[in-house]
Formats: sequence, C-alpha cells, structure tokens
Amino acid sequence: MNATIEKYTPKLMALPTFIILLIISLVPLIYVLGISFTDSTISKPFNDFIWFENYKKALTDEVFGDSLVNTLVFAFVVTTIQTFLGFVLAFAMQRERKLSGVLRTLALLPLFTPPVAIAMIWRLIYDPNQGMLNYYMLKWGLVSAPAAFLGDKTLAFPSIMLADIWQWTPFCFLLCLAALQSLPRDPYEAAMVDGASAWYVFKRLTLPMVAPQVIVIFLFRFLIALKVFDLIYMLTFGGPGNTTQVASFYIYRVSFKQFQTGYGGALSILVLILISVLATLLTKGRELLLKRVE
Amino acid sequence: MMETNGAFEIHAEAEEIVARKDIGYYLSHILFGRVMRILLLLFFILAILIPIIYIASTSLKEPIEIRVSGALLPTGPITTINWIKAFRNVPLVRYLFNSTVVAFFSTILVLAIAVPTTYSIIRFKTGGWFFPAWILGTYVMPPIVVSIPIFAMVKMVGLQNTLLGLLLVHTMANLPIAVWLMDSYIRAIPKELEQAAWIDGYSKLDTLRRVVFPLIRPGVLATGVICLILSWNEFLFALILTYGVQSNTFPIGISRYVGEHGLQFGEMSAAALAGIVPIYILVFLFSRNLVEGLTRGGVKG
Repeated sequence: MNATIEKYTPKLMALPTFIILLIISLVPLIYVLGISFTDSTISKPFNDFIWFENYKKALTDEVFGDSLVNTLVFAFVVTTIQTFLGFVLAFAMQRERKLSGVLRTLALLPLFTPPVAIAMIWRLIYDPNQGMLNYYMLKWGLVSAPAAFLGDKTLAFPSIMLADIWQWTPFCFLLCLAALQSLPRDPYEAAMVDGASAWYVFKRLTLPMVAPQVIVIFLFRFLIALKVFDLIYMLTFGGPGNTTQVASFYIYRVSFKQFQTGYGGALSILVLILISVLATLLTKGRELLLKRVE
Repeated sequence: MMETNGAFEIHAEAEEIVARKDIGYYLSHILFGRVMRILLLLFFILAILIPIIYIASTSLKEPIEIRVSGALLPTGPITTINWIKAFRNVPLVRYLFNSTVVAFFSTILVLAIAVPTTYSIIRFKTGGWFFPAWILGTYVMPPIVVSIPIFAMVKMVGLQNTLLGLLLVHTMANLPIAVWLMDSYIRAIPKELEQAAWIDGYSKLDTLRRVVFPLIRPGVLATGVICLILSWNEFLFALILTYGVQSNTFPIGISRYVGEHGLQFGEMSAAALAGIVPIYILVFLFSRNLVEGLTRGGVKG
C-alpha cells in the first residue's frame, strides 16, 4: 500500500496542476472552437451552427484587421524601446554598487503599480485642461494650445505606449542588469591585457555573450505585450475611431459589450493561431540568430 | 556620447583593472563618461518617480488649485479633503477588503499547488517535455481568448459575482507563472541531499516537506508576493466575473468610479493611491526577494 502511494507520489503532486490546466486552457479552447462555429450570444450559447460564417466575417472585418496590426505595432514598438532603454541603463549602472539596491527597489514600483492606477496617473498627466504635460508645455511655450493627447487620432496610440514604457522599462532594466552581472570575467581580462579598446571589447565580447539573454528578454516581453488590455480599456476604450483598437480589447468588446460570443470565439481562435505561429517563428529565429553570433 | 580611448592608454591601466577584477565597471566607465552616467541615473530615477509624485501631490491639492494648475508640486495649501471625499463617495474600504481576500487566499492556493508540481516536474520529470511546455504556453496565451468559457463555467457552478469564484480563477490564472518562478529555486537544490533523505527512509512527500521546502523558502516568499500583487492588480477576470460592490475588487471599483463620476482629479488620485500604497509597502518590505525572484525566472534560456 505504502509502496504504491510512494510510486505515484510524483504524479499526485502534479495532478492538481494538470486538472487546472484542463480547466483554464484545454476545455476553454475546445469550448471556444465549438462556439466559433455557431451564432451564439452570451445568453444563448451554442445557438445555431453556421460553420465558417464567423470566420468569413472576420476576414472582411476591417476593425479586426486594424486591431491585429495595432497589437503587433504596439508590442514591437514598446518592446524594442523597453529592451533598448533597459539595456543601456543596466549597462551604465552595472557597477554602481551603492546605488544599485535603491535603483532596484525603485524599478519595482512601476512594474507592480496596479495597471488601473497607472492608467489613472497618465490620464491625469495627459488631461487637456488640468494635466501636467499640457501645463508645462504651455508654460514653457512649446505649444500655443493644449493638446488632447488621448483624444487625438495620431497622439492617442503613442501616448498609451509611453505609459506602457514607463511601466515595463524597469522590468527590462532588472533582467538586463542580472544578465550583465552574470557574465564571466576571464575573457575580459584576456582582452584587457591584450590591449583591446573598450568599444572593441564591448562589441566583440559583451554583446555576443549577453545577446542570448537579451533576446530572451525581448521575446518574453514581446509575448506579454501582445496581451495588452488594461491600459486600452482605461485610457481610450479603443478610440478615437478605433485608432487604438487592439486584439484583446476588440474581442472583449464583441463578446461582452455586443454579446456576440460566437463571433468573439472565432476572433479568439484566429488571434491564438496568429500568436502561436508568431511564437514559433520567433523561437526559431532566435536559434538561427544565436548560431550566427557563435 | 561614447568615447573610445586608444589601445595604449588601456594597456597601461589594464593590469591594475585586472587586479581589481572590476572590468564591468571599467567598461561602462569608458563607454559612458562620468557625467553621462550621472545624467542617465537622474533621468531614470526622475522618470520613475515623477508620475508617482504627481498623483500623490494631486491628491493633496485643493480642488480649486487642481482646476487651474497642473504643476508637479502643490503651490497652494495642502488638504486632506480629496482623501476624505474619496473614502466617503467610493466604497473603497469594501473594494480593498475584497481585493485582500481574493489576493490572500488565491496566493495560498497557488503556492500549495505550484510547489509540489514544480518539484515533481524537476525531480521526477513528470509529464516529460510536454507538461512544462503546456504550462508556459498557458502563461503566454492572452486571457481574453478563454474569457468566454471561463465566464460560462463560473456561471455554471453558480459562483459569478462572488469572491470565491474570482479567487479560484485567480488561483488558476497565476499557477503557470508560479511554476515558472519556482523552477529555478528548486533546480538549484542538489539532488544528493534528497537521495540522502530517501536512504534515511523519508518518503518523497516528507523529503519535499522537510528537506527541500526549508531550502526554497526565499523562492516561495518571492513567488507568493508576486502572485499576491498580480492578483491584486488583475483586471480582466475581475471585470467580467464581478458586477456588484460586494465582489468588486479595487481595480474594478475605481474604474467604475471614474466612469460614473467623471473626472474629479483630486478624489481620483486619492482613490488610486489607496490601492497603490499597500503594494508599495510590500515592494519595500520584500524588494530583495522580488528582484531575485523576477531575475532568476526571467533570464534562463
């Protein structure tokens, strides 16, 4: 009896997680796939089987197309800026021992601030009448009339990106700092004794050694950035005129505001396929890149 | 902005540098001059702090002053009227209580499930390559994709609009990240230690409880605090699963408030800060653990 329990202990330890994964990923995905072939609403799930009608509709839905493009642009732009800034800051601060404890604690603040509160802070900053940004831009004579950052079709998306960059750059900074501090010392010593210039050492030693980890940081952050929802919901609600519409928010609007869960399900499946393809390509791309660096 | 010195100068200093084993310092010292580094440092600290200082100062400004001046710091007398009004007009205490209950219990559940699972995956290779990949895939998947069925399932078991329903969903949603965070801590435990325990007649469960667990306490703490904060901050599931004061968590509560009352900036700042301050206290208390937890989990290839 005891021997049997002992034999199955590892499986029993993993069982709750297995069940939870079924509940939050496998069963929901089957459900969503099923519902995507129907004309369901939130109160009438699995209403009428209409096969691929929802998918046909999605392919001609311009707002959906725009939301996909916006999601990719958003994730790419913010991730690039955050990784670059995070790396530069980490590189410059890597040996500021006295300060690094304080810096690390400060870096945790934006990362862990509730996104809803982050949105409120930036809403205040961007406000046309009472906000700080317009106040100082007017005071210093940079503009003659206050700008409606979140209500302007060209400014709204960059404004949201800036809030996201505030939130996530410190995260990239922390990870880059850890990566830089984990590098081995010996190759540097050899290069220094050989009299290599600092730029040369950076280009030929630091960069190749740290690149694999920085690429992982970039990919990790990129995949999380594709989920963007909270900031859009709180700052612009996808507006003005769908210019800040992103995939997650559009699916939310279709499913929970227009109650078309069948159509929302089809959009979910399409987004999921897109992200899976993207994730596979990016991991493959990373492997190729690393081979070239070596 | 980047000055590269000639090879000669570097050679002259190289031996001293090598002796101090401080090449990273040397490199950043040369690529970024001293002034440049101080400017970068100042920029970084100010960029992080200005939005936080701004919301704190706005919550203390007179409502009349807020209407005419968006200055970073209050220019007139400071007041607590916004805080009093925020707590009077918004059921903030209830929202914060709800958030605390959901975050606390979901974190306990997450840890109780994640620690044995991660141990089992690493030590006994349970589920082969597929199980960890499935866990990571679930983390990467945008939650909106499964929101319709989750909503339907929670409704089916009659837990919509309850704290229990939300805290169970948060438990499940945070489980993948908890396994991911625990991974590097458990991996670092030498296997010989556990083998010695088995020889002494410990069962696998006892080995985890009495040998491994005491060694991974910092990891459990870091994972716990991170899951606590993630649950406190979580927006999407709270948005679709709760629709009354009795179950709204802080993020949903204040987002509703902004929608219903328009933009009274002083009160809004005070209300937002009421939910920020508890998180910042946690961050200051556990900053070392949090940084370690995040960076260990994040940089592994």
